[in-house]
Amino acid sequence: MNGHPQFDEDFDLYALGVLDADEARALAAHVERCRDCARQLDAARGRTAALALAAPAEVPSPAVRERLLRQVRTETAEPPGSSFWSFQRWLVPALALASVALAVGLAFERARNREFAQTIQVLQAQAQRQKVETVRALAVLEVLTAPDTLKVTLVAGTAQPVPQGKAFYHLSKGLVFYAANLPALPAGRTYQLWLVPVAGNPVSAGVFAIDASGNGAVLLPDLPAGVAAKAFAVTEEPEGGVPQPTGPKVLVGLVS
Amino acid sequence: MKSGGLVPTTGPLPDPRAADLDLIRRVVDGDEGALAALYDRYSGLVYSVAKRVLQDAGAAEEILQDIFYQLWRTARSFDAARGSLPGWLLVTARNRAIDRLRRRPPGDRAATEEAPTNFPFPLEAAVSRNEMMSRVKAALGGLPEAQRQAMELAYFEGLTQSEIAQRTGEPLGTVKTRMRTALQTLKRALTA
Repeated sequence: MNGHPQFDEDFDLYALGVLDADEARALAAHVERCRDCARQLDAARGRTAALALAAPAEVPSPAVRERLLRQVRTETAEPPGSSFWSFQRWLVPALALASVALAVGLAFERARNREFAQTIQVLQAQAQRQKVETVRALAVLEVLTAPDTLKVTLVAGTAQPVPQGKAFYHLSKGLVFYAANLPALPAGRTYQLWLVPVAGNPVSAGVFAIDASGNGAVLLPDLPAGVAAKAFAVTEEPEGGVPQPTGPKVLVGLVS
Repeated sequence: MKSGGLVPTTGPLPDPRAADLDLIRRVVDGDEGALAALYDRYSGLVYSVAKRVLQDAGAAEEILQDIFYQLWRTARSFDAARGSLPGWLLVTARNRAIDRLRRRPPGDRAATEEAPTNFPFPLEAAVSRNEMMSRVKAALGGLPEAQRQAMELAYFEGLTQSEIAQRTGEPLGTVKTRMRTALQTLKRALTA
């Protein structure tokens, strides 16, 4: 089609998507060059879009809204065009969250572990400087405070100071884990946390790094829903983690 | 008796389209509450279109969630284009649902692609949205049965004119004439 479309309805037919492929291509090519026709096509698109309003009114289940907001919270939105800013955007709430989760843990352990307290104070100071992602932190709090959350202490045999881990696991709300006094690892090695189910193979709950004092945390990792746990364990693995544990067990804790 | 004039206690009603753009800017800044507000305003619109096309609540809900998640991720490009959000939502909901119905791979369309830049119907306010729904339903319902059926097969099932001819067992020429006539009538009804 070199000239203008023969009929005004051609724009509507194109917008509706019912033209044959050849006709559609020809009209699209013409509209590229002809401003008047582009305007007419835009108007036709508006009219066509309005046909959607003829659909009978329906109300979606409230569960969709919840799923959407959960998706938005857990997956970091990436502002287009800037990976640096998307990294920043992820980093700040993540650090803040780690601080808050550890602060909550303090309520349980303050009396027993002064080293944790020191770490938490440092992290709390960070939290004050950073924007806290409140909703996710509340999810962490829920795991820690629910009456049916399992609380498992993970210890190693004889090392000094004693490496220790705490796992807070709730079947539906998730897992919060933190560790202290873990020895530094050689380059290319990492710690990996495992949920050992009552039946079946261990499930990875993610790898984690430790700071200079040997403290690390795993917060609300993606786990299959509703897996009953027999134990939790930390192993030393190659960087990036492995699907099934291969390295030495550093910490183990049975669900009592 | 001295009496004061009546003065408005509130400012003018906020412009719904400006309110949408403000919410979109907040979504760009990562404000979940703003996304929730847009969802509350338009989820019914999106879901109704997807459900009408797919006739399946679960599939329509997936499309609803996907579209608002796409808005969350691409709000920046939408903000720059300043189009009509309901216009984009309607076009996207229909296209996604048709892609799924016809088992086409979903096109990775940008937020503003294929949406009319000048959507002529103010759907941002609930009152005018309901009015427009009645108007479109009346326009479509006022068509002769065969024309209405052809329009619905094209719009809600994504059939081409040839496919409509096959489906209805009528000659292609008849279908083409029917659609042109229907579109002329609808254009008059919707632009009046």
